[in-house]
Amino acid sequence: MRKLLILMVSAVGLFLFYFTFQAAAAVFYTDWDLPDAGEQDENVPRVVLITNETDHPFWRDVAAGAEKKAGELNVDLDVSGIYGSNTEDFLRKIEIAIYSKVDGIIVQGLDNEKFKELTKLKAASYGIPVLTVAHDVPKEESLRKTYIGSDQFEAGELLARELLEDMGTTGEVILMMDSEPEYFQRQRLEGVEHVLAGYPDIEMIEAKIGDREQGLSTVNDLLNHFPQATSFLAVNASFTEELVKEIETRRKVDPYYIYTFDEERGAYALLESGKIDGVVEQSPEDMGQLSVELMSDWLQKDSQPLDIEGYFTEVSIVKDLNGQ
Amino acid sequence: MRHLQKKIWLLAIVVLIIMVIIWISLTYYNQKMQDQYNQILERYLVMNELNMLSQETVASLNAYLLDPSDANFRTIERRKNRMGQLYDEVTAFRNTDNESELTNYTNLTVSLVEMTERSVNFQISGEIETAKSALNEAIHIADYVSEMRLSVIDKELRTYDIFYREMIDRSEKLTELGVWLLMTIILMLLFFTYWFSLRITKPLEKLTESAKRLSKGQFDREIEADSKDETAILAGTFEQMRININNLFIETKQKARLEAELQESKYLLKESQLLSLQSQINPHFLFNTLNTLSKKAYIEGSEETSDLLVSIADLMRYNLRHMDKPTALHEELHVLKQYIQIQKARYTDRLTFITEIDESCLGIQIPGMTLQPIVENAIIHAVEPSEDGGTILFRVRQALNHVVIEVEDNGPGMTEEKIEMLKDARAVTSEKGTGIGFKNVVQRLKLFNASDEVVDIQSKIGHGTKISLYILKERSDMTYDQSSHSG
Repeated sequence: MRKLLILMVSAVGLFLFYFTFQAAAAVFYTDWDLPDAGEQDENVPRVVLITNETDHPFWRDVAAGAEKKAGELNVDLDVSGIYGSNTEDFLRKIEIAIYSKVDGIIVQGLDNEKFKELTKLKAASYGIPVLTVAHDVPKEESLRKTYIGSDQFEAGELLARELLEDMGTTGEVILMMDSEPEYFQRQRLEGVEHVLAGYPDIEMIEAKIGDREQGLSTVNDLLNHFPQATSFLAVNASFTEELVKEIETRRKVDPYYIYTFDEERGAYALLESGKIDGVVEQSPEDMGQLSVELMSDWLQKDSQPLDIEGYFTEVSIVKDLNGQ
Repeated sequence: MRHLQKKIWLLAIVVLIIMVIIWISLTYYNQKMQDQYNQILERYLVMNELNMLSQETVASLNAYLLDPSDANFRTIERRKNRMGQLYDEVTAFRNTDNESELTNYTNLTVSLVEMTERSVNFQISGEIETAKSALNEAIHIADYVSEMRLSVIDKELRTYDIFYREMIDRSEKLTELGVWLLMTIILMLLFFTYWFSLRITKPLEKLTESAKRLSKGQFDREIEADSKDETAILAGTFEQMRININNLFIETKQKARLEAELQESKYLLKESQLLSLQSQINPHFLFNTLNTLSKKAYIEGSEETSDLLVSIADLMRYNLRHMDKPTALHEELHVLKQYIQIQKARYTDRLTFITEIDESCLGIQIPGMTLQPIVENAIIHAVEPSEDGGTILFRVRQALNHVVIEVEDNGPGMTEEKIEMLKDARAVTSEKGTGIGFKNVVQRLKLFNASDEVVDIQSKIGHGTKISLYILKERSDMTYDQSSHSG
């Protein structure tokens, strides 16, 4: 009886001791998962990538490529963009980057006076090199070091040739663009026009959406104005989806030749469903990678000049994902 | 009570130490937590202060541009310096997580300071408009500082999110630990208290038991206490007491026995004295009467009666005189002959008394009244019961160290047991005869000889009895005389 009691007491004691120590260990276990303090390496260049529409697949790919390269080259890359495409906020980001004295700015080119002033005056006065990515601005207006992205002129040409092939040499081609088309849109337009100029039977109509003078406040108006159109080229890709929807409400989409760029979110989905006929595919990841690489090179070997004309990434036309 | 005190102290100290350890560790833990909290809080405060100072710097710049006084200029300078200090402090907060945000933040403040300086310089050099536009830029930058502060703090919050969660988790675990600790301590205390009290009370219990035994008079069991404290000392002294009492007890018992023995010998002597005294009832009167009777018998012509009366008178006189001191053997013999004469008158032919006496032995000293009782016994046991009477042989002879006095009869003899009883002087005094029994004689002889070897009895049923008395020729001391005189 007495033995049993002792056994029980010691069992309870052991039990209590075990849990007490367990609890004590849990309480006094000091492994705070805090970041390491002060990596004071001043030599790591701080580079900012600023884009519009950061949640856009295209720009996500750009950022991903840039980050990948930054990791490889030991560059402190800060991807800082805005959702949507508010110009004011966008410029603000650039300004903050400049005042924050980053070592380099990689930015989506914006054909805007303020942008040009920022890059030309502010960035230059702080000695910060600016590279444009994906969308260029005129080199003499922005004092950008170089441009990394698709050759938009070539992309336009590519698109025009594809159109000729599909549509033939006669037809009414609507070129959809902003009311004040940006530089990259103008380059694309030039490319298209350069090819189609040799075909007199093709009528090119520059549809500046949002332009009051032309009476084109929305895509909706486009169909009313140009009922004879046989094909649409979305120079500004963001009009594509709206256009397709608009056409679908009236008649079949099939007879129209619709081409767009991969900046359009739903471009591939539309292509897959056969509603559009071709997408110009750019290489956003390559752009990101190349831009960071060039920036890193520039920052480390200051003397080596960059090609002011730009470094072009691959452009191709995707016709049909199903291979038809 | 040093030891018991020590034990109690030990218990108290053990408890205290446990408490202190727990207290210290909890305090330490708390302090650490507090430090962490403070550290983080300080970061926020410092970061925030930098931002506030940026706004104030811009405000003071504005004030300066409106009123370019020295006081305003000094305010700007003071704020700029303070910003420099804070810049250093905030820079120290850099870690891998917040590096880019924090660098942007601090650099923005640097840009602000630079812009402020530029504005001030333009103002000093009189380019008011440029100074104004610089102020505008400074306001912009201050705005950006504010914005960047938010993202820095946002980042901080995200970084320390795990930490906060862990803190909450820890505090829950702390409560848990408290419960466990409480239970463990309770158990430990109960155990220790039980153990200590057992160590104190167990020896006491044993001691109490021993005391009970002692009080019941059991002095022979050892008192034990298996402890090393005061109870052990108590048990030791107790044990010593027990041994002493036990020894005293045994000693007293022995003494009592000795006392009893002594008392007995004294009693024997007293008895013989008493008996002799009994026979002293007006002895002179009896003696004179006997003499008168003797003369009367003689005058009346009864010579034989006259002689008998003379014998009795002599016998009485002897008894009166010599009872308590040794006499010469021949004197004793004389008295014995008188006695025999008296007995002859009684038993006439039935009693045959033969003596064989070595004359050289007659000078030896023997206690008075030793021979007569032996012979009397012989007459009583051997002559009186027999119709034909009996023969008694009385012999005195020399031995090596002794004179041997033998009284031999041809009576019925006695059993071995009777012999042993007589030898040990255990037999009850015979009521017959003179009353001074065989036992008395033997005892006195033993005392006289200072030896137990004084009597030998040889007897066979139907063949008579022979009693031999051994008297030492040379006695070593005179104890008998002394004791008899004093008695």
